Amino acid sequence: MTKLLGYLGMDVSAMTANDWLGVFFTLGAFIGMVVVYFMVFRPANKDAFESQRGMALDDEDPIDMGEKND
Amino acid sequence: MNAAQATPVKYDMEVVRWFSIAAVIYLVVGTLLGVWIAAELAWPSLNFIPEIAFGRLRPLHTNAVIFAFGGCTLMATGYYMVQRTGATRLWSNGLAWFTFWGWNLVIVLAVITLPLGITQGKEYAELEWPIDILIAIVWLAFGLNHIMTVAIRKTSHIYVSNWFIMSMIVMITYLHVVNSLAIPVSLATSYSIYSGVQDAMVQWWWGHNAVGFYLTAGFLGIMYYFVPKQAGRPIFSYRLSVLHFWALTFGYVWLGSHHLQYTALPDWTGSLGAAVSLAMIIPSWGGAINGMMTLSGAWDRLRTDYILRFLVVALAFYAMSTFEGPVMSLKTVNALSHYTDWTIGHVHSGALGWVAMVAIGALYHMVKKLWNTEMYSDSLVNVHFWLSTIGTVVYIVAMWVSGIMQGLMWRDYDEYGTLTYTFVESVFAMHPYYAMRAIGGLIFHLGTLVMLYNVVMTVRQASAARGAAAVPAQA
Repeated sequence: MTKLLGYLGMDVSAMTANDWLGVFFTLGAFIGMVVVYFMVFRPANKDAFESQRGMALDDEDPIDMGEKND
Repeated sequence: MNAAQATPVKYDMEVVRWFSIAAVIYLVVGTLLGVWIAAELAWPSLNFIPEIAFGRLRPLHTNAVIFAFGGCTLMATGYYMVQRTGATRLWSNGLAWFTFWGWNLVIVLAVITLPLGITQGKEYAELEWPIDILIAIVWLAFGLNHIMTVAIRKTSHIYVSNWFIMSMIVMITYLHVVNSLAIPVSLATSYSIYSGVQDAMVQWWWGHNAVGFYLTAGFLGIMYYFVPKQAGRPIFSYRLSVLHFWALTFGYVWLGSHHLQYTALPDWTGSLGAAVSLAMIIPSWGGAINGMMTLSGAWDRLRTDYILRFLVVALAFYAMSTFEGPVMSLKTVNALSHYTDWTIGHVHSGALGWVAMVAIGALYHMVKKLWNTEMYSDSLVNVHFWLSTIGTVVYIVAMWVSGIMQGLMWRDYDEYGTLTYTFVESVFAMHPYYAMRAIGGLIFHLGTLVMLYNVVMTVRQASAARGAAAVPAQA
Protein backbone atom coordinates (compact mmCIF):
# COMPACT_ATOMS: atom_id res chain seq x y z
CA MET A 1 0.00 0.00 0.00
CA THR A 2 2.82 2.40 0.92
CA LYS A 3 4.52 1.51 -2.37
CA LEU A 4 1.33 2.31 -4.26
CA LEU A 5 0.93 5.65 -2.50
CA GLY A 6 4.55 6.41 -3.26
CA TYR A 7 3.86 5.75 -6.92
CA LEU A 8 0.97 8.20 -6.89
CA GLY A 9 2.77 10.87 -4.84
CA MET A 10 4.21 13.97 -6.44
CA ASP A 11 6.89 16.40 -5.38
CA VAL A 12 5.19 19.72 -6.13
CA SER A 13 8.28 21.80 -5.44
CA ALA A 14 10.27 19.86 -8.04
CA MET A 15 7.70 20.24 -10.82
CA THR A 16 8.80 22.08 -13.96
CA ALA A 17 6.64 24.17 -16.31
CA ASN A 18 6.32 21.08 -18.54
CA ASP A 19 5.04 19.04 -15.59
CA TRP A 20 2.41 21.66 -14.78
CA LEU A 21 1.38 21.80 -18.43
CA GLY A 22 0.96 18.02 -18.33
CA VAL A 23 -1.14 18.23 -15.17
CA PHE A 24 -3.27 20.94 -16.75
CA PHE A 25 -4.00 18.88 -19.88
CA THR A 26 -4.53 15.65 -17.94
CA LEU A 27 -7.03 17.24 -15.60
CA GLY A 28 -8.61 19.11 -18.52
CA ALA A 29 -9.15 15.86 -20.43
CA PHE A 30 -10.50 14.14 -17.30
CA ILE A 31 -12.94 16.93 -16.49
CA GLY A 32 -13.92 17.16 -20.15
CA MET A 33 -14.77 13.44 -20.22
CA VAL A 34 -16.84 13.75 -17.02
CA VAL A 35 -18.80 16.62 -18.61
CA VAL A 36 -19.35 14.59 -21.80
CA TYR A 37 -20.55 11.53 -19.86
CA PHE A 38 -22.91 13.72 -17.83
CA MET A 39 -24.33 15.40 -20.95
CA VAL A 40 -24.73 12.21 -22.95
CA PHE A 41 -26.31 10.09 -20.22
CA ARG A 42 -28.56 12.79 -18.74
CA PRO A 43 -32.10 11.54 -19.43
CA ALA A 44 -33.29 15.06 -20.30
CA ASN A 45 -30.81 15.16 -23.21
CA LYS A 46 -31.73 11.79 -24.68
CA ASP A 47 -34.31 12.98 -27.18
CA ALA A 48 -32.18 15.92 -28.32
CA PHE A 49 -29.27 13.60 -29.14
CA GLU A 50 -31.24 10.74 -30.60
CA SER A 51 -33.26 13.03 -32.86
CA GLN A 52 -30.07 13.27 -34.98
CA ARG A 53 -29.83 9.49 -35.52
CA GLY A 54 -31.24 9.62 -39.01
CA MET A 55 -29.44 12.74 -40.19
CA ALA A 56 -27.30 10.82 -42.70
CA LEU A 57 -30.50 9.54 -44.30
CA ASP A 58 -32.09 12.97 -44.69
CA ASP A 59 -30.55 13.75 -48.04
CA GLU A 60 -31.56 11.12 -50.57
CA ASP A 61 -31.68 13.43 -53.58
CA PRO A 62 -29.82 12.07 -56.61
CA ILE A 63 -26.71 14.01 -57.52
CA ASP A 64 -27.02 15.98 -60.73
CA MET A 65 -24.61 14.32 -63.18
CA GLY A 66 -24.44 17.36 -65.40
CA GLU A 67 -23.33 19.87 -62.82
CA LYS A 68 -19.92 21.29 -63.57
CA ASN A 69 -19.23 23.31 -60.47
CA ASP A 70 -20.31 26.63 -61.84
CA MET B 1 -36.15 15.71 -44.81
CA ASN B 2 -35.05 19.01 -43.32
CA ALA B 3 -36.77 22.20 -44.38
CA ALA B 4 -33.48 23.42 -45.75
CA GLN B 5 -33.40 20.41 -48.06
CA ALA B 6 -36.88 20.81 -49.52
CA THR B 7 -35.36 21.91 -52.83
CA PRO B 8 -32.58 19.82 -54.37
CA VAL B 9 -29.14 21.16 -53.51
CA LYS B 10 -26.47 21.60 -56.15
CA TYR B 11 -23.23 20.12 -54.91
CA ASP B 12 -19.58 20.40 -55.95
CA MET B 13 -19.07 16.75 -56.73
CA GLU B 14 -16.66 16.75 -59.68
CA VAL B 15 -13.67 17.01 -57.35
CA VAL B 16 -15.12 14.18 -55.24
CA ARG B 17 -15.35 12.02 -58.37
CA TRP B 18 -11.68 12.65 -59.16
CA PHE B 19 -10.58 11.93 -55.61
CA SER B 20 -12.62 8.70 -55.65
CA ILE B 21 -11.10 7.42 -58.89
CA ALA B 22 -7.61 8.40 -57.67
CA ALA B 23 -8.22 6.48 -54.44
CA VAL B 24 -9.11 3.30 -56.34
CA ILE B 25 -6.01 3.61 -58.55
CA TYR B 26 -3.75 4.23 -55.54
CA LEU B 27 -5.26 1.21 -53.78
CA VAL B 28 -4.16 -0.95 -56.72
CA VAL B 29 -0.67 0.59 -56.83
CA GLY B 30 -0.16 0.59 -53.05
CA THR B 31 -1.13 -3.06 -52.62
CA LEU B 32 0.99 -4.06 -55.64
CA LEU B 33 3.99 -2.45 -53.94
CA GLY B 34 3.08 -4.34 -50.77
CA VAL B 35 3.00 -7.67 -52.60
CA TRP B 36 6.34 -6.91 -54.24
CA ILE B 37 8.15 -6.04 -50.99
CA ALA B 38 6.56 -9.05 -49.27
CA ALA B 39 8.04 -11.18 -52.06
CA GLU B 40 11.40 -9.44 -51.58
CA LEU B 41 11.43 -10.53 -47.95
CA ALA B 42 10.56 -14.11 -48.89
CA TRP B 43 12.94 -14.26 -51.88
CA PRO B 44 15.77 -11.76 -51.26
CA SER B 45 17.22 -12.15 -54.77
CA LEU B 46 14.40 -9.85 -55.93
CA ASN B 47 16.29 -6.93 -54.32
CA PHE B 48 18.48 -6.69 -57.41
CA ILE B 49 18.96 -2.89 -57.66
CA PRO B 50 18.97 -0.35 -54.82
CA GLU B 51 16.05 1.69 -56.22
CA ILE B 52 13.66 -1.23 -55.81
CA ALA B 53 15.22 -2.80 -52.73
CA PHE B 54 12.99 -3.42 -49.70
CA GLY B 55 14.44 -0.49 -47.74
CA ARG B 56 13.48 1.98 -50.49
CA LEU B 57 10.13 0.51 -51.51
CA ARG B 58 8.76 -0.20 -48.04
CA PRO B 59 8.27 3.53 -47.27
CA LEU B 60 6.84 3.98 -50.77
CA HIS B 61 4.31 1.21 -49.99
CA THR B 62 3.29 2.78 -46.67
CA ASN B 63 3.07 6.26 -48.21
CA ALA B 64 1.04 4.91 -51.14
CA VAL B 65 -1.52 3.09 -49.03
CA ILE B 66 -1.73 5.59 -46.14
CA PHE B 67 -1.35 8.96 -47.82
CA ALA B 68 -2.22 8.28 -51.47
CA PHE B 69 -5.09 5.81 -51.05
CA GLY B 70 -6.10 6.82 -47.52
CA GLY B 71 -5.71 10.55 -48.17
CA CYS B 72 -7.70 10.54 -51.40
CA THR B 73 -10.41 8.45 -49.71
CA LEU B 74 -10.57 10.83 -46.74
CA MET B 75 -10.73 13.91 -48.94
CA ALA B 76 -13.33 12.36 -51.27
CA THR B 77 -15.56 11.24 -48.40
CA GLY B 78 -14.85 14.37 -46.33
CA TYR B 79 -15.97 16.69 -49.14
CA TYR B 80 -18.91 14.38 -49.92
CA MET B 81 -20.22 14.02 -46.36
CA VAL B 82 -19.83 17.66 -45.39
CA GLN B 83 -21.93 18.74 -48.37
CA ARG B 84 -24.60 16.05 -48.03
CA THR B 85 -25.06 16.42 -44.26
CA GLY B 86 -24.87 20.22 -44.37
CA ALA B 87 -27.16 20.58 -47.42
CA THR B 88 -24.70 23.00 -48.93
CA ARG B 89 -21.99 23.26 -51.56
CA LEU B 90 -18.33 23.48 -50.67
CA TRP B 91 -17.14 26.78 -49.25
CA SER B 92 -14.59 26.93 -52.08
CA ASN B 93 -14.63 24.58 -55.04
CA GLY B 94 -11.38 26.15 -56.27
CA LEU B 95 -9.65 25.33 -52.99
CA ALA B 96 -10.94 21.76 -53.25
CA TRP B 97 -9.28 21.43 -56.67
CA PHE B 98 -6.10 22.90 -55.18
CA THR B 99 -6.14 20.11 -52.57
CA PHE B 100 -6.65 17.51 -55.31
CA TRP B 101 -3.70 18.64 -57.44
CA GLY B 102 -1.55 19.52 -54.41
CA TRP B 103 -2.09 16.13 -52.78
CA ASN B 104 -1.30 14.35 -56.03
CA LEU B 105 1.85 16.42 -56.42
CA VAL B 106 2.93 15.20 -52.96
CA ILE B 107 2.36 11.63 -54.12
CA VAL B 108 4.37 12.16 -57.33
CA LEU B 109 7.24 13.65 -55.30
CA ALA B 110 7.13 10.63 -52.97
CA VAL B 111 7.35 8.29 -55.97
CA ILE B 112 10.45 10.16 -57.18
CA THR B 113 12.32 10.71 -53.91
CA LEU B 114 11.76 7.54 -51.90
CA PRO B 115 13.20 5.05 -54.46
CA LEU B 116 16.22 7.39 -54.76
CA GLY B 117 16.78 6.99 -51.03
CA ILE B 118 15.88 10.59 -50.18
CA THR B 119 14.30 10.22 -46.76
CA GLN B 120 14.19 11.67 -43.25
CA GLY B 121 14.23 8.13 -41.88
CA LYS B 122 11.19 8.74 -39.67
CA GLU B 123 8.57 6.03 -40.00
CA TYR B 124 5.37 7.20 -41.75
CA ALA B 125 7.05 10.64 -42.07
CA GLU B 126 9.84 9.78 -44.47
CA LEU B 127 9.36 12.60 -46.95
CA GLU B 128 11.94 15.39 -46.89
CA TRP B 129 11.27 18.89 -45.58
CA PRO B 130 10.15 20.67 -48.82
CA ILE B 131 7.50 17.97 -49.31
CA ASP B 132 6.56 18.21 -45.63
CA ILE B 133 5.84 21.92 -46.11
CA LEU B 134 3.74 21.15 -49.20
CA ILE B 135 1.80 18.52 -47.22
CA ALA B 136 1.11 21.08 -44.48
CA ILE B 137 -0.14 23.69 -46.99
CA VAL B 138 -2.43 21.26 -48.82
CA TRP B 139 -3.70 19.74 -45.57
CA LEU B 140 -4.49 23.19 -44.15
CA ALA B 141 -6.34 24.05 -47.37
CA PHE B 142 -8.41 20.87 -46.96
CA GLY B 143 -9.03 21.74 -43.31
CA LEU B 144 -10.03 25.32 -44.03
CA ASN B 145 -12.39 24.26 -46.80
CA HIS B 146 -13.99 21.55 -44.68
CA ILE B 147 -14.40 23.69 -41.57
CA MET B 148 -15.75 26.66 -43.54
CA THR B 149 -18.22 24.38 -45.34
CA VAL B 150 -19.41 23.21 -41.92
CA ALA B 151 -19.73 26.89 -40.95
CA ILE B 152 -21.98 27.70 -43.94
CA ARG B 153 -24.15 24.57 -43.60
CA LYS B 154 -27.91 24.91 -43.98
CA THR B 155 -28.70 22.36 -41.26
CA SER B 156 -28.72 23.24 -37.58
CA HIS B 157 -26.77 20.22 -36.32
CA ILE B 158 -23.22 19.17 -37.24
CA TYR B 159 -23.40 15.44 -37.95
CA VAL B 160 -20.97 13.25 -35.97
CA SER B 161 -19.02 12.24 -39.11
CA ASN B 162 -17.99 15.85 -39.62
CA TRP B 163 -16.79 16.05 -36.02
CA PHE B 164 -14.56 13.03 -36.59
CA ILE B 165 -13.15 14.54 -39.79
CA MET B 166 -12.51 17.91 -38.12
CA SER B 167 -10.82 16.21 -35.18
CA MET B 168 -8.55 14.41 -37.64
CA ILE B 169 -7.76 17.65 -39.47
CA VAL B 170 -6.80 19.54 -36.30
CA MET B 171 -4.75 16.74 -34.77
CA ILE B 172 -2.91 15.70 -37.94
CA THR B 173 -1.92 19.33 -38.57
CA TYR B 174 -0.47 19.55 -35.09
CA LEU B 175 1.22 16.14 -35.21
CA HIS B 176 2.67 16.54 -38.70
CA VAL B 177 4.16 19.96 -38.02
CA VAL B 178 5.69 19.09 -34.63
CA ASN B 179 7.07 15.71 -35.73
CA SER B 180 8.54 17.10 -38.96
CA LEU B 181 10.43 20.01 -37.38
CA ALA B 182 13.93 19.76 -38.83
CA ILE B 183 16.98 21.79 -39.75
CA PRO B 184 17.44 21.73 -43.54
CA VAL B 185 20.94 21.25 -44.90
CA SER B 186 20.03 21.00 -48.58
CA LEU B 187 16.85 20.44 -50.58
CA ALA B 188 17.16 16.69 -50.04
CA THR B 189 18.71 16.55 -46.57
CA SER B 190 17.60 17.69 -43.14
CA TYR B 191 18.13 16.74 -39.52
CA SER B 192 15.36 16.37 -36.98
CA ILE B 193 15.49 18.97 -34.19
CA TYR B 194 14.97 16.12 -31.71
CA SER B 195 17.55 13.58 -30.68
CA GLY B 196 17.80 10.44 -28.59
CA VAL B 197 14.82 9.31 -26.60
CA GLN B 198 12.96 12.60 -27.22
CA ASP B 199 13.15 11.87 -30.93
CA ALA B 200 11.75 8.39 -30.33
CA MET B 201 8.94 9.74 -28.18
CA VAL B 202 7.94 12.45 -30.68
CA GLN B 203 8.21 9.92 -33.51
CA TRP B 204 5.79 7.49 -31.83
CA TRP B 205 3.53 10.27 -30.61
CA TRP B 206 3.15 11.01 -34.33
CA GLY B 207 3.29 7.36 -35.44
CA HIS B 208 0.51 6.10 -33.22
CA ASN B 209 -1.66 9.16 -33.77
CA ALA B 210 -1.31 8.83 -37.53
CA VAL B 211 -3.07 5.52 -36.81
CA GLY B 212 -5.36 7.05 -34.18
CA PHE B 213 -6.55 10.14 -35.99
CA TYR B 214 -5.79 9.65 -39.67
CA LEU B 215 -6.64 5.94 -39.96
CA THR B 216 -9.15 5.71 -37.12
CA ALA B 217 -10.95 9.02 -36.47
CA GLY B 218 -11.15 9.87 -40.18
CA PHE B 219 -12.41 6.42 -41.13
CA LEU B 220 -14.84 6.36 -38.20
CA GLY B 221 -16.32 9.50 -39.72
CA ILE B 222 -16.74 7.47 -42.90
CA MET B 223 -18.29 4.59 -40.95
CA TYR B 224 -20.85 6.79 -39.16
CA TYR B 225 -22.09 8.17 -42.47
CA PHE B 226 -21.86 5.25 -44.87
CA VAL B 227 -23.07 2.38 -42.63
CA PRO B 228 -26.46 4.03 -41.95
CA LYS B 229 -26.61 5.21 -45.56
CA GLN B 230 -25.90 1.80 -47.08
CA ALA B 231 -28.09 -0.02 -44.55
CA GLY B 232 -30.88 2.53 -45.03
CA ARG B 233 -31.31 2.70 -41.28
CA PRO B 234 -30.51 5.39 -38.68
CA ILE B 235 -27.45 4.92 -36.52
CA PHE B 236 -28.21 2.64 -33.55
CA SER B 237 -27.39 5.23 -30.87
CA TYR B 238 -26.42 8.82 -31.54
CA ARG B 239 -25.48 9.30 -27.89
CA LEU B 240 -22.98 6.45 -28.16
CA SER B 241 -21.47 8.06 -31.26
CA VAL B 242 -20.97 11.35 -29.36
CA LEU B 243 -19.35 9.49 -26.48
CA HIS B 244 -17.20 7.55 -28.95
CA PHE B 245 -16.03 10.79 -30.55
CA TRP B 246 -15.04 12.60 -27.35
CA ALA B 247 -13.46 9.55 -25.68
CA LEU B 248 -11.37 8.89 -28.77
CA THR B 249 -10.38 12.53 -29.15
CA PHE B 250 -9.40 12.95 -25.50
CA GLY B 251 -7.79 9.54 -25.14
CA TYR B 252 -5.94 8.59 -28.30
CA VAL B 253 -3.11 11.14 -28.02
CA TRP B 254 -1.72 9.40 -24.93
CA LEU B 255 -0.99 6.03 -26.51
CA GLY B 256 2.25 6.56 -28.47
CA SER B 257 4.57 5.64 -25.65
CA HIS B 258 3.35 2.03 -25.67
CA HIS B 259 5.55 1.60 -28.77
CA LEU B 260 8.60 2.22 -26.60
CA GLN B 261 8.33 -0.34 -23.78
CA TYR B 262 11.70 -1.53 -22.46
CA THR B 263 13.60 1.41 -23.97
CA ALA B 264 15.40 4.45 -22.54
CA LEU B 265 12.02 6.17 -22.12
CA PRO B 266 11.01 6.52 -18.45
CA ASP B 267 9.20 3.37 -17.37
CA TRP B 268 6.06 5.19 -16.25
CA THR B 269 5.39 6.65 -19.71
CA GLY B 270 5.14 3.16 -21.21
CA SER B 271 2.81 2.14 -18.36
CA LEU B 272 0.65 5.23 -18.96
CA GLY B 273 0.50 4.43 -22.69
CA ALA B 274 -0.57 0.84 -21.92
CA ALA B 275 -3.16 1.93 -19.32
CA VAL B 276 -4.81 4.43 -21.67
CA SER B 277 -4.65 1.84 -24.48
CA LEU B 278 -6.69 -0.54 -22.33
CA ALA B 279 -9.14 2.24 -21.47
CA MET B 280 -9.61 2.90 -25.19
CA ILE B 281 -11.13 -0.55 -25.69
CA ILE B 282 -14.35 0.81 -24.19
CA PRO B 283 -15.09 3.62 -26.71
CA SER B 284 -13.66 1.58 -29.59
CA TRP B 285 -15.92 -1.37 -28.92
CA GLY B 286 -18.80 1.00 -28.19
CA GLY B 287 -18.32 2.45 -31.68
CA ALA B 288 -17.99 -0.95 -33.33
CA ILE B 289 -21.13 -2.22 -31.61
CA ASN B 290 -22.94 1.01 -32.52
CA GLY B 291 -22.10 0.45 -36.19
CA MET B 292 -23.07 -3.22 -36.13
CA MET B 293 -26.30 -2.70 -34.21
CA THR B 294 -27.35 -0.21 -36.88
CA LEU B 295 -28.19 -3.35 -38.85
CA SER B 296 -30.63 -4.57 -36.17
CA GLY B 297 -33.63 -5.92 -37.97
CA ALA B 298 -31.89 -5.77 -41.32
CA TRP B 299 -29.22 -8.45 -41.03
CA ASP B 300 -30.77 -10.29 -43.95
CA ARG B 301 -29.49 -7.52 -46.21
CA LEU B 302 -25.99 -8.92 -45.83
CA ARG B 303 -27.05 -11.82 -48.07
CA THR B 304 -27.59 -9.56 -51.04
CA ASP B 305 -25.87 -6.24 -50.31
CA TYR B 306 -22.17 -6.86 -50.94
CA ILE B 307 -21.19 -3.24 -50.24
CA LEU B 308 -22.75 -3.52 -46.80
CA ARG B 309 -20.69 -6.67 -46.24
CA PHE B 310 -17.49 -4.65 -46.68
CA LEU B 311 -18.67 -2.12 -44.10
CA VAL B 312 -19.75 -4.70 -41.52
CA VAL B 313 -16.67 -6.90 -41.86
CA ALA B 314 -14.60 -3.72 -41.47
CA LEU B 315 -16.32 -3.12 -38.13
CA ALA B 316 -15.48 -6.68 -37.03
CA PHE B 317 -11.82 -6.09 -37.85
CA TYR B 318 -11.97 -2.70 -36.11
CA ALA B 319 -13.22 -4.37 -32.94
CA MET B 320 -10.60 -7.11 -33.22
CA SER B 321 -7.61 -4.84 -33.80
CA THR B 322 -8.66 -2.33 -31.12
CA PHE B 323 -8.62 -5.23 -28.65
CA GLU B 324 -5.40 -6.76 -29.93
CA GLY B 325 -3.48 -3.45 -29.82
CA PRO B 326 -4.04 -2.75 -26.11
CA VAL B 327 -3.19 -6.38 -25.27
CA MET B 328 0.09 -6.03 -27.21
CA SER B 329 0.87 -2.80 -25.35
CA LEU B 330 0.98 -4.62 -22.00
CA LYS B 331 4.58 -5.07 -20.93
CA THR B 332 4.29 -8.82 -20.43
CA VAL B 333 2.87 -9.39 -23.91
CA ASN B 334 5.09 -6.68 -25.42
CA ALA B 335 8.19 -8.52 -24.20
CA LEU B 336 7.23 -11.29 -26.62
CA SER B 337 5.56 -9.36 -29.42
CA HIS B 338 7.78 -6.31 -29.90
CA TYR B 339 10.08 -6.29 -32.96
CA THR B 340 8.34 -9.42 -34.30
CA ASP B 341 5.99 -10.01 -37.22
CA TRP B 342 3.07 -10.09 -34.80
CA THR B 343 3.18 -6.28 -34.97
CA ILE B 344 3.02 -6.44 -38.77
CA GLY B 345 0.02 -8.80 -38.50
CA HIS B 346 -1.69 -6.42 -36.07
CA VAL B 347 -1.08 -3.41 -38.30
CA HIS B 348 -2.50 -5.20 -41.33
CA SER B 349 -5.58 -6.49 -39.51
CA GLY B 350 -6.29 -2.79 -38.96
CA ALA B 351 -5.05 -1.56 -42.32
CA LEU B 352 -6.56 -4.23 -44.60
CA GLY B 353 -9.44 -5.39 -42.42
CA TRP B 354 -10.63 -2.04 -41.06
CA VAL B 355 -9.29 0.91 -43.08
CA ALA B 356 -9.29 -0.62 -46.55
CA MET B 357 -12.59 -2.48 -46.14
CA VAL B 358 -14.55 0.49 -44.78
CA ALA B 359 -12.98 2.72 -47.45
CA ILE B 360 -13.85 0.24 -50.21
CA GLY B 361 -17.45 0.04 -48.98
CA ALA B 362 -17.70 3.85 -48.91
CA LEU B 363 -16.11 4.19 -52.36
CA TYR B 364 -18.53 1.69 -53.92
CA HIS B 365 -21.44 3.53 -52.29
CA MET B 366 -20.18 6.89 -53.54
CA VAL B 367 -19.46 5.67 -57.08
CA LYS B 368 -23.12 4.69 -57.44
CA LYS B 369 -24.33 8.04 -56.09
CA LEU B 370 -21.76 10.24 -57.83
CA TRP B 371 -22.46 8.77 -61.26
CA ASN B 372 -26.14 8.24 -60.48
CA THR B 373 -26.07 4.61 -61.62
CA GLU B 374 -25.87 1.00 -60.43
CA MET B 375 -22.60 -0.92 -60.28
CA TYR B 376 -21.56 -2.49 -63.57
CA SER B 377 -21.46 -5.86 -61.82
CA ASP B 378 -22.69 -6.67 -58.32
CA SER B 379 -21.19 -10.14 -58.70
CA LEU B 380 -17.75 -8.59 -59.10
CA VAL B 381 -18.30 -6.63 -55.86
CA ASN B 382 -19.00 -9.99 -54.21
CA VAL B 383 -15.85 -11.50 -55.77
CA HIS B 384 -13.90 -8.50 -54.49
CA PHE B 385 -15.36 -8.93 -51.01
CA TRP B 386 -14.24 -12.54 -50.76
CA LEU B 387 -10.78 -11.86 -52.22
CA SER B 388 -10.32 -9.03 -49.67
CA THR B 389 -11.53 -11.09 -46.74
CA ILE B 390 -9.57 -14.24 -47.60
CA GLY B 391 -6.44 -12.22 -48.47
CA THR B 392 -6.58 -10.35 -45.17
CA VAL B 393 -7.08 -13.51 -43.12
CA VAL B 394 -4.24 -15.37 -44.88
CA TYR B 395 -1.96 -12.38 -44.37
CA ILE B 396 -2.61 -11.83 -40.68
CA VAL B 397 -2.62 -15.52 -39.74
CA ALA B 398 0.81 -15.89 -41.42
CA MET B 399 2.15 -12.94 -39.45
CA TRP B 400 0.64 -14.04 -36.14
CA VAL B 401 2.22 -17.50 -36.39
CA SER B 402 5.50 -16.08 -37.68
CA GLY B 403 5.63 -13.35 -35.04
CA ILE B 404 4.90 -15.54 -32.03
CA MET B 405 7.39 -18.13 -33.30
CA GLN B 406 10.03 -15.39 -33.75
CA GLY B 407 9.47 -14.06 -30.23
CA LEU B 408 9.68 -17.53 -28.69
CA MET B 409 12.83 -18.43 -30.66
CA TRP B 410 14.60 -15.16 -29.78
CA ARG B 411 14.21 -15.57 -26.06
CA ASP B 412 14.69 -19.31 -25.70
CA TYR B 413 17.67 -20.30 -23.54
CA ASP B 414 19.31 -23.68 -23.04
CA GLU B 415 20.37 -25.13 -19.69
CA TYR B 416 23.69 -23.20 -19.85
CA GLY B 417 21.95 -19.85 -20.24
CA THR B 418 22.92 -19.35 -23.88
CA LEU B 419 20.49 -18.63 -26.69
CA THR B 420 19.04 -21.81 -28.21
CA TYR B 421 18.69 -20.33 -31.69
CA THR B 422 20.83 -17.95 -33.71
CA PHE B 423 19.07 -15.01 -35.37
CA VAL B 424 19.67 -16.58 -38.78
CA GLU B 425 17.88 -19.74 -37.69
CA SER B 426 14.83 -17.65 -36.82
CA VAL B 427 15.00 -16.01 -40.26
CA PHE B 428 15.02 -19.47 -41.92
CA ALA B 429 12.05 -20.52 -39.82
CA MET B 430 10.09 -17.48 -41.03
CA HIS B 431 10.41 -18.28 -44.73
CA PRO B 432 7.18 -20.31 -45.22
CA TYR B 433 5.20 -17.59 -43.45
CA TYR B 434 6.79 -14.84 -45.52
CA ALA B 435 5.74 -16.73 -48.65
CA MET B 436 2.25 -17.18 -47.17
CA ARG B 437 2.10 -13.44 -46.41
CA ALA B 438 3.00 -12.61 -50.01
CA ILE B 439 0.23 -14.93 -51.21
CA GLY B 440 -2.31 -13.34 -48.83
CA GLY B 441 -1.29 -9.89 -50.05
CA LEU B 442 -1.54 -11.04 -53.67
CA ILE B 443 -5.09 -12.30 -53.09
CA PHE B 444 -6.03 -8.93 -51.58
CA HIS B 445 -4.34 -7.12 -54.48
CA LEU B 446 -6.29 -9.17 -57.06
CA GLY B 447 -9.45 -7.90 -55.38
CA THR B 448 -8.35 -4.31 -55.93
CA LEU B 449 -7.87 -5.02 -59.65
CA VAL B 450 -11.42 -6.39 -59.78
CA MET B 451 -12.60 -3.18 -58.08
CA LEU B 452 -10.76 -0.93 -60.53
CA TYR B 453 -12.24 -2.80 -63.50
CA ASN B 454 -15.74 -2.69 -62.01
CA VAL B 455 -15.52 1.04 -61.18
CA VAL B 456 -14.15 1.95 -64.63
CA MET B 457 -16.92 -0.04 -66.32
CA THR B 458 -19.52 1.58 -64.03
CA VAL B 459 -18.32 5.07 -64.95
CA ARG B 460 -18.29 4.17 -68.65
CA GLN B 461 -21.78 2.69 -68.34
CA ALA B 462 -23.02 5.90 -66.68
CA SER B 463 -21.35 8.08 -69.31
CA ALA B 464 -22.87 6.00 -72.12
CA ALA B 465 -26.33 6.24 -70.53
CA ARG B 466 -25.91 10.00 -70.20
CA GLY B 467 -24.84 10.29 -73.82
CA ALA B 468 -27.82 8.24 -74.99
CA ALA B 469 -30.19 10.39 -72.95
CA ALA B 470 -28.65 13.58 -74.32
CA VAL B 471 -29.06 12.65 -78.03
CA PRO B 472 -32.91 12.74 -78.19
CA ALA B 473 -32.88 15.88 -76.07
CA GLN B 474 -30.61 17.61 -78.57
CA ALA B 475 -32.61 16.27 -81.52
